[in-house]
Amino acid sequence: MIKEHDAPVKGFSNFDRSFQELKEATSLTRKEKAQKLATQIEMMARTKRGLTYLYDQIDDLLEADFFAETPWKDASKLVPSLVKGTLRAGGATTCYEIVSDLRMLAVARKKITIQNISPDDATKYLEEVIVNNLEFVFNELTEESREMMSKQDITKVQNLFDFLIDHSGFDSVKDRLAEEIKQICAQRPVVTRKVRRLIHLVKYQVDITPDTPADKLLRFYVDAVYHPSTHAAKCASAEEYQQLITKLSKDDLHKEAEEMAHFMKDTGLCTSFMSVLFLHGIEHDSTIIPKLLGLSENGKAEWLSYKETITRLMREIAGIHIYQCLYGLARMLEKNLFSRRAVRSGLNNLRLASIHPHAETRIMKSVVKPHSDVSAKQYLMSSIIRILGQPLGVGQGNNATCQSARGMSMWSQHSPAKLISMIITVATQNNLHYMFENRDLESIKLGKGLVDKLDYNLDAVSVILVPHLDKIYNEMMKMASGRTDDPHKWVNPAMYGHWIQLGFASCYNYLFQSIHDYKGFLRIFFAAYHTKYNSGRKIVYPNPVGIFITTNKGAMVGFHAVSLLRVKWDEHSQEVRAYFLNPNNEGRQDWGQGIQPTVYGHGEKAGESSLPFYQFAARIYAYHFNKLEVKQRISDVPEQEIDRVDKLARESWGRSYNWIETPKQW
Amino acid sequence: MANCYALIGWSLQVIESMQKTGKPFVVVSLPDFESYANEHDIPFVSYEFSEWSDSSNSLDLYEKLKEFNVDVAVPLFEETVEWAGALNSIYRGDPKVLNRAFLFRNKAMMKRKALIGGLKVGLFEEVYNKEGVRTFMKRLNEANLNLPDDESSWVHLKPFSAAGTVGHRLLRSEEDIDKKVKDSDFPCLAESHLVGKEFSCEAFIHKGKIRFLNITDYVHLGYSNFIPEGKYLESKRELIHQKMQQLVDIFGIEYGMIHPEWFIDENDNLSFGEVACRIPGGHILELCSKAYDFDALAAFVLSHDPSLTEDELDDIFPADDYKAENYYGNVMIYPQKNQISKLEIPEELQEEPYFLDHTLVPPLTTQKISDREGYGNHFGAVNFRGPDPERMEELLLHYETVDFYQ
Repeated sequence: MIKEHDAPVKGFSNFDRSFQELKEATSLTRKEKAQKLATQIEMMARTKRGLTYLYDQIDDLLEADFFAETPWKDASKLVPSLVKGTLRAGGATTCYEIVSDLRMLAVARKKITIQNISPDDATKYLEEVIVNNLEFVFNELTEESREMMSKQDITKVQNLFDFLIDHSGFDSVKDRLAEEIKQICAQRPVVTRKVRRLIHLVKYQVDITPDTPADKLLRFYVDAVYHPSTHAAKCASAEEYQQLITKLSKDDLHKEAEEMAHFMKDTGLCTSFMSVLFLHGIEHDSTIIPKLLGLSENGKAEWLSYKETITRLMREIAGIHIYQCLYGLARMLEKNLFSRRAVRSGLNNLRLASIHPHAETRIMKSVVKPHSDVSAKQYLMSSIIRILGQPLGVGQGNNATCQSARGMSMWSQHSPAKLISMIITVATQNNLHYMFENRDLESIKLGKGLVDKLDYNLDAVSVILVPHLDKIYNEMMKMASGRTDDPHKWVNPAMYGHWIQLGFASCYNYLFQSIHDYKGFLRIFFAAYHTKYNSGRKIVYPNPVGIFITTNKGAMVGFHAVSLLRVKWDEHSQEVRAYFLNPNNEGRQDWGQGIQPTVYGHGEKAGESSLPFYQFAARIYAYHFNKLEVKQRISDVPEQEIDRVDKLARESWGRSYNWIETPKQW
Repeated sequence: MANCYALIGWSLQVIESMQKTGKPFVVVSLPDFESYANEHDIPFVSYEFSEWSDSSNSLDLYEKLKEFNVDVAVPLFEETVEWAGALNSIYRGDPKVLNRAFLFRNKAMMKRKALIGGLKVGLFEEVYNKEGVRTFMKRLNEANLNLPDDESSWVHLKPFSAAGTVGHRLLRSEEDIDKKVKDSDFPCLAESHLVGKEFSCEAFIHKGKIRFLNITDYVHLGYSNFIPEGKYLESKRELIHQKMQQLVDIFGIEYGMIHPEWFIDENDNLSFGEVACRIPGGHILELCSKAYDFDALAAFVLSHDPSLTEDELDDIFPADDYKAENYYGNVMIYPQKNQISKLEIPEELQEEPYFLDHTLVPPLTTQKISDREGYGNHFGAVNFRGPDPERMEELLLHYETVDFYQ
């Protein structure tokens, strides 16, 4: 029986009281009191009034050292791309993140000042956070978020973003948004989910009627995905379009094809309209195809030579729900991949193979909205075509599997038939076989890989291949550990194949747990790869390189695996640049000290990131090289090049390590 | 005033409270805590309490503490009670102080003392094997005039010197003896079930007189309690105070705080359960501090000091006529499922005006819950504050059943 009772005033008096306790605490109990306070803040975050009250007291909270002994303590060490994760984590973590973002807003609005962060820094940080979390801004949550978060946490996070937008306005975010979409498209990723979500949000939620450059660009992308041609723009669905094109003249159809090709070539995005037109073309008028795919003379010749094979293949794959592979197909044609008998046989073998139920389950898990009339094999084949056509668009998704991703990218470029054969093995046997130092490694017999729980935000090929590669990689690393050098020295050549140079240099010394003879390390890198000092030698095969990831203040975050692809003089920026594959598809990042990889505008091929050579060198920790050829060139490298990089290194990630100067026998 | 207090055991909250009193102290605890103590400028002596030998004993500790000028020892945890007792017997020149400490460490002995002193206790006996328990149960049933078909009288089995409810088993029948008892549990104390409402007292003693008496209302043993006591216990306060003073006199307690558990039946008969002289569990002193607006942890420590004057005592404790405005309670939360992955605070709790805050820990990605031993490890507590004790009791009982962990 519930009695009438005089409840204490439901205002913020509880918060005030707990806050007072926190203020009175010493370092002994401060963290505990802060955590208790956090449980009340959780409740306040449910309402706008509560957030406002918190925001008003933000400087008092900071003075009471609310963030003591937490990862949020130093605001200058925070990374915007990690915010989504902590917001979704729930409980106290979400709460601390909310207060951290309110703190950032307070700096951006000049309400408070914090060392090492200017209001401008804070504004940029928040813009990035907003752009990465539009699902909360527009209340269009992904399935993932909906599953991970409780209803209350969703309310709190949405309140936070409402608050941030209210106080910072949305217009500047539009610029950021347009740039984000442009950057993603420039990399021609195999998985286009993220950019399509952004474009979808722009179409339905953002006002892009003004005529600023950002608005124009956003309209272009919306058209590319929703109105890729004159007649498609008149249809509400691809089914409608299917009916419509039967009534169009041949000339009209060709014009449609050209319009669509234009969008595809500029963005790398295809639509279901395109797929409908494609299927119509292969049945009724195959002359449309080269136009639709935007093929050059070379691509067209390839198409004509293998028309029958390709038609048979694509008839089984493309459809209203599978269309992105058309861009991959266009690229494959331009690269003459169908001319290789091994590729044709491989694709045909896969066409006829039966997929292992395990692999099938995984494939279907990777599809956001599976359709009943699309089979797992179709998704798989579509994914292969994209990977073969866009080797630099292979990504690792939200998994720590950069090593596997760069392997797939390399095989796609240099040994597509081998890649196809590996895919067939995992797809049909759910197993993979490698030989390493006299041991037979079969992935199903091995223990865990690096990744415990795979995030399925990947293409169908990665989803079945990466878990096996990952287990094998992990086992190889275990077998090669405890030696005097970084295990990658042995593992990389074994894992990736004979394209990897056997010479290996790592600047980290395991025995002394320090950076050892960094300058010697750099000299070899320059002598091996800088075109000015290596007699103009070009890199032929991708070079797996280990790099330090740093925050935009240059502080050490962790390790990452990339592939160095080319080193070339860039006319536009008038310097020698290093071009590399970064499998996390976050091509544009800010690594501090002005080191900001770009994905276009500096001679990059689609999917490459680039940096001035010396800046790239300032972030590497391990690479392979040709031992025999490098020796004589080392003396050609001028000391000031080395000194410049040495300084950058020491003042960034270098701070986290001890350094030993004694020269090493490389 | 004491020259220096020795806090035997490690507790950050107690240390912070002592720092705020400004009185000199030194912490005696395991070597594990030494580096933290040094980092935070906490006077510290490291000692291995589990070792008792020629080189590791109270005389040795006494020597080590001389350099700090210690003259009062305060036990914070069950296992440190006899150490503090030994030291205080030296400081006060009274060997009985140590003997008394030993009584506190043996549940059978303390019951004997209470019985001799005239307090009502149940039937109890030290038992050494399952046969002993069986015999005890039979005798109990006979004394209670139980027929073979009647439900057996309940028997509680407890280890002699564990803290709180660790190792406590309830046997409702002879079958339970075989089911719930292992040979490794012996020797232990068997006692008959005491009837009535259970509650505890926290009495701060100085010069043999109770200076401040707190009564903690147990809503559900091991799960929830609140302070100050509800209306029913409040109406019995005088009686309880009398019995408490009797307890203090029987045991000859002069300084410190005691935490006895009592049962009061409908005829106002109070039965004695057990008593401890270290900091009670269940966050009781925290609740007490909030309810009466004083630092109960500091009071706990300071009441061990024989040299404190009346004025100093008045400063530490709330005034005699202090009327607590609000009731403070908490409920300890244990996950009900075997596999948990999410912590969810229910909507109704967030709307509840009495809800203060919580210390619930989110689970590690997926966590398995092992069987609970001695009420096990709770995952945190939910704290409440409000003016109506009946409403408080309602809430505490209700939230015990809510599953916070999915």
